[in-house]
Amino acid sequence: MNRKAYSFWLAAAAICLFTLASRPGAALKTFRISGRAQGTTYAITYYAERPAVSQTQTDSIFKSLDNSLSIYQPGSLIDAFNASQEGVVMDKHLTNVVWRSMEIYEQTGGLFDMTVFPLVRAWGFGTKGSDQLPDSAAIHAIMPCVGSDKLQIFGGKLVKNNPCIQIDVNGIAQGYSVDVVANFLEARGVRNYIVEVGGEIRTKGHKYPGKERMSIGIETPSATEFDAPEIRAVISIGDGAVTTSGSYRKFREQGGLRLSHIIDPKTGFPVQREVVSATVVAPDAITADGFDNALLAAGVDGAFGILRAHPELQAYLIYRRSDGTVADTASAGFGKYLVR
Amino acid sequence: MAGAGLSTAFTPLFGKTIGPADKIRLGLIGTGSRGAGLATLIREMPDYDLVACCDIIPENLQKGLSLASKTAKGYTDYRKLLDDKSIDAVVIATPLYLHYPMAVAALQAGKHIYLEKSMTYDIPQAIDLVKKVKASGLVFQIGYQYRYYGLYHRVKEIMKENWLGKITHFECQYNRNSNWRFPVKDPKMERAINWRMYREYCGGPLSELCAHEIDVVNYLTDSRPVKVVGLGGINYWKDGRDTYDNIRTVYDYPNGVKASVTSVLSNAYNGYSIRILGDKATVEILRDKALIYPETINNAKGTVDGVTGATIAVTTQGKGAEVKFGKPGEAELEPTVFALKDFAECVRNKKEPVSNVETGRDGSIAIHMGNAAADTEKVQYWKPEYSA
Repeated sequence: MNRKAYSFWLAAAAICLFTLASRPGAALKTFRISGRAQGTTYAITYYAERPAVSQTQTDSIFKSLDNSLSIYQPGSLIDAFNASQEGVVMDKHLTNVVWRSMEIYEQTGGLFDMTVFPLVRAWGFGTKGSDQLPDSAAIHAIMPCVGSDKLQIFGGKLVKNNPCIQIDVNGIAQGYSVDVVANFLEARGVRNYIVEVGGEIRTKGHKYPGKERMSIGIETPSATEFDAPEIRAVISIGDGAVTTSGSYRKFREQGGLRLSHIIDPKTGFPVQREVVSATVVAPDAITADGFDNALLAAGVDGAFGILRAHPELQAYLIYRRSDGTVADTASAGFGKYLVR
Repeated sequence: MAGAGLSTAFTPLFGKTIGPADKIRLGLIGTGSRGAGLATLIREMPDYDLVACCDIIPENLQKGLSLASKTAKGYTDYRKLLDDKSIDAVVIATPLYLHYPMAVAALQAGKHIYLEKSMTYDIPQAIDLVKKVKASGLVFQIGYQYRYYGLYHRVKEIMKENWLGKITHFECQYNRNSNWRFPVKDPKMERAINWRMYREYCGGPLSELCAHEIDVVNYLTDSRPVKVVGLGGINYWKDGRDTYDNIRTVYDYPNGVKASVTSVLSNAYNGYSIRILGDKATVEILRDKALIYPETINNAKGTVDGVTGATIAVTTQGKGAEVKFGKPGEAELEPTVFALKDFAECVRNKKEPVSNVETGRDGSIAIHMGNAAADTEKVQYWKPEYSA
């Protein structure tokens, strides 16, 4: 079969599948898949006449994502880039994530920066914990290795201008994974689903058989790394994505001070801002996930500055006042999502 | 002599000021297993000069002196050691029944005191010692070293931060699978060496082992028990001992918090452990680490289709996460070293120790209540006059 004919049959098959899955009046059943990936859990619920995706397929998607993007997996493509002197040829996943990361780097004025990895490691939040805290001289020495403007893409190759540059796309990879799984569902004709990976979510359509809206709880910041979630607000976003970045689960204690795992790429030091949790609604999860860290690092005023330039984003921020009490605030368009 | 001692004791000012660079001249009364262990730690500490040791058993005394300063003096009568005016402070690590008379004599001699746990043999002695220490103006510390250990500080902190939710129970055990005896060459020395076997000298496992855990619960809850029930027996090691070889008590703390305190001398699984049960998580404290086991309650999630939040690390049910404590890069030291360091600090700066005569009294009274509950098979209540 030549390439053209192959594409034709593929398209025809996709249309058949699509009509099957979305045939009006057909009774949609609930399918659920859940498991572990990327050091956390994932859960997929979709509504269709028949199974469209298997656990084996989703697990294999996560595996291919890890092979490309995981700093925890020795031999991953990102690991190879970090170990390289000059750079590597990227695969599809790394290309997608790096392009979007660079765009968001620009759009957040550098507050989202994947080259922050050497700093993350110095502060003991990397793949290996560290007993010592870095001093300002050590951070100063790392700063020449930080900055996405030191990366370039030539052809399909990601190139660094200094061997010490290392990237960590953990701030965006979960959101991207959600999109990849959602796109996989869509390619199989599924039009009603919720995909969640480690608290990053994308929804489309409704729940069946009642055709209810899908509701998403926004978690109250908790004190520990493993607390069961408590819901602070409930939203329904229709077709779109929502992600949350919080400085409340991952932190190190140091002399009574909590060090956030979010490092400000401009100063090299952990973010000590008042925002403890930033929830972002966006058309896709990679966008939401890229911006949520930046809003956390920007502080309340800075966050609203970024949001004004991006009307496609809505955000809900939980922050700590100077007296220690916790309050929340949201962008003007966020209210329409609130269910309770 | 007694008069002279008293006048020193009742002078609120210390006999002499010890500068920050001066070594504290220390006498060690009781150089048995615990005393020798203390001497081994003290030898490495720049704060102290161990200038005198006292023990009635010659082997013990030799051992103590071998760990002390080259010029240290040996005594078999502790009163002679106390007569040495050049000694600033004493460590008392003798069988429990000797704690009170030795501590009183040391106060009269104007010595600062580090007294091994538990504090006193009975309740009246505990109450009286509080009065005597307060009147003396001397530093008096009880050897509950866990109050000085970062692990327990961190556990107290996470309790305060509500990691565990509402705490309702403590489960404490201090178990061993041994007869808990030391070898005796001369049968005449049996009671002197194996004093832990005899009620005449101590309260058995509760006063010699579980004392730490009772003190820890008091420390973590900032309270003391209201009442206690208990059962005990000699059912395994029927070797002539008259202290229990198993005792199980339940202490009732304010607000209905209960602490079971157990010692079994015929099983050593997780020998030393304190489990703190909260409605959000459990903390299990072992010798040198603590693990936290979150509850898998997830009521919130049932009402929505998804929850967005900072990434939740996967925790396996039944597998605890280790509680991190201590400062980065800080050396891991025997908890007793921290306690002895703080004792030096208190002596130099005239501060009241964290493990002081009142916390010591609370521990000792709780121990005696627990033993009395098992002895009488009747609930024992904390009486107002205990802490008046």
